[in-house]
Amino acid sequence: MTFLVEPHPIDPAPLRAELASRDCGGFVFFEGRVRDHHEGRTVTGLHYEAYRELAGKEGRRLVAEIAAKYGVRAAAIHATGDLVPGDLAVWVGAAAPHREQAFAACRELIDAIKAHVPIWKRETYANGKSEWVEGCSCGAAHSHGPLAKP
Amino acid sequence: MKVPLHGLFLAGGKSSRMGREKASLVVGDGGLTQAARGIGLLRRFCDRTYLSLREGQPAPEGADKVTAIRDSDEAQGPLAGILGAFRETPVAAWLVMACDLPFVSEALLANLVGRFREKPDAPLTAYASSRDGLPEPLCAIYGPSSRPILQRHAARGNFCPRHIMREENVPLFPLPAEDSGALENLNTPEDLAGAVAAREIHLAWFGHLAERRGLRKETVRVKAGTADDLLREIEDLHRLGLDPKEVRVAINDEFVPRDCRLHPGDRVAFLLPSAGG
Repeated sequence: MTFLVEPHPIDPAPLRAELASRDCGGFVFFEGRVRDHHEGRTVTGLHYEAYRELAGKEGRRLVAEIAAKYGVRAAAIHATGDLVPGDLAVWVGAAAPHREQAFAACRELIDAIKAHVPIWKRETYANGKSEWVEGCSCGAAHSHGPLAKP
Repeated sequence: MKVPLHGLFLAGGKSSRMGREKASLVVGDGGLTQAARGIGLLRRFCDRTYLSLREGQPAPEGADKVTAIRDSDEAQGPLAGILGAFRETPVAAWLVMACDLPFVSEALLANLVGRFREKPDAPLTAYASSRDGLPEPLCAIYGPSSRPILQRHAARGNFCPRHIMREENVPLFPLPAEDSGALENLNTPEDLAGAVAAREIHLAWFGHLAERRGLRKETVRVKAGTADDLLREIEDLHRLGLDPKEVRVAINDEFVPRDCRLHPGDRVAFLLPSAGG
């Protein structure tokens, strides 16, 4: 049940190995990667800053809580520093005997990490300007903006 | 030739509002009197350090072995002390510090001395008050060339060093952000009680707030009892746009409720909503 905050580039392979288990038939992982656009603007880079000590504690608490809630094995790692589109920003994995719990736990864990772990990002746009992206204080696990149509 | 820098600890005031000798007060710092603490600080930067006293005034506690310079009769108040110092050694620059500034730090003096060394011919090297932008004349350096200026003002009855600095358009330096409250002075027993009760809190800033504040870490001395009081105090001072409804509080690397009590030495962070992932 690991949660890590590490400088880019992050390597999820050790976490994958940690979660692998002969009694887990379902293994779901989510990779959050830097997207090249945000609210109509072209994004050329992202800077992630963490309150490292608190992010580590809070992340470990969430991993343990959600793992216990769904009866899964779970782990996650989040990058800090300067990333460009395509780079891996966050990795969340959940392994369970059956796929339903693994899907549900993975989904809830990434939402909870985004909402509660003290990490902030600053986007740089094609015009050279950069801005801190505002988080949402509602505390609910959710994503903002319309979902992309398939 | 390098101008010698001498120290002058101003203890000649009558401390009438305090009702007792301010230089003999003890405010934290391991039980040192203001005089012992101030003289010790000045000695780290000055080749000689003196005590400025009124005629006939005994030395304050903790400074009885320090050579005293008596007030000049050219002026009144602190200006009399400063002109007394120039009467003693006209070729020196004088690092002057009043006895009622318990929060002056070594870093604050080091920064001031650094500014002076960059322009040693400047008559006056001083900070701007973080409250009102006015000159802070009682933690400042008076170069040898300031003497005739001070004497000219004194001769026409202008004894206020702050007025003199304003009239002379002295260029002022900003207080370092981490020492923005360092020149708060003590005038009354209430000020003293407040200073003794004030807690030293270490603030950390992250992300957008670090950028708005212009720094990542600072130590502040506050009377705030809770994290919420502190948030309001900081917001009043720096206008960072901290919205109590939106900001989360961490003390010593743990999220805490906003009404959490503060203890001396706590590490406090105000955090905007997270935006990771």
